[in-house]
Amino acid sequence: MPEYRRGRGLSQQALADLLGVSRQTVISIEKGRYDPSLPLAFRLAEVFECRIEDLFVADE
Amino acid sequence: MTQLTQRSTWGRSRFGGGSAALIIGSVVLGLGLAIGAGALFAFLAYPQARILAWSVFSAGLFPVLTAACWALAVDRSTLRSAPRDPEQSIESRWYDSAAQGAFHDLLVAAGLATVIFAVLNVEAPVSLVLGAVLLLTMLSFAVRYLWLKRAEG
Repeated sequence: MPEYRRGRGLSQQALADLLGVSRQTVISIEKGRYDPSLPLAFRLAEVFECRIEDLFVADE
Repeated sequence: MTQLTQRSTWGRSRFGGGSAALIIGSVVLGLGLAIGAGALFAFLAYPQARILAWSVFSAGLFPVLTAACWALAVDRSTLRSAPRDPEQSIESRWYDSAAQGAFHDLLVAAGLATVIFAVLNVEAPVSLVLGAVLLLTMLSFAVRYLWLKRAEG
């Protein structure tokens, strides 16, 4: 996800504002410590214009 | 035409007016409520030292009631640091997890305390017991929240 974000020239705060969540949420998602809810995952995919599967991989 | 919302640290009132009006209104209302509630408590609980009790209660209640007035009156969409969708944020999950853990701690502590009080035939003032329960629950919540924040933040 950080690559997608940087590719769009977005800071963590700017992405958080776009998603309507706290900056800490973006930090934790990028570190892999927080699995976002389905609506938030859809919103991320919408912002990055990709599929959810491109952003997140299921745990084995 | 797009309407831009001006955001600030203290926000704006949902009833109209800027940050200054919101802060002044909260302080004035908080002060009035603190004086009124302090007088009521002093009259009911400490009739022998009304002035002292009124002063102490009012001073203690003033910051709490001012903050409560501000929280009720502020339009959170005008707060600079407030996310639009807080329930999707990680802080919301920390809150839920900490609250769930604190509830379980409360159940265990209340159960153990009930057994001990019943077996040992201990008697304690209700205000002291409820105060201890409140303190324990708050402490449990705070420790759990901070632990989650450290682990997942």
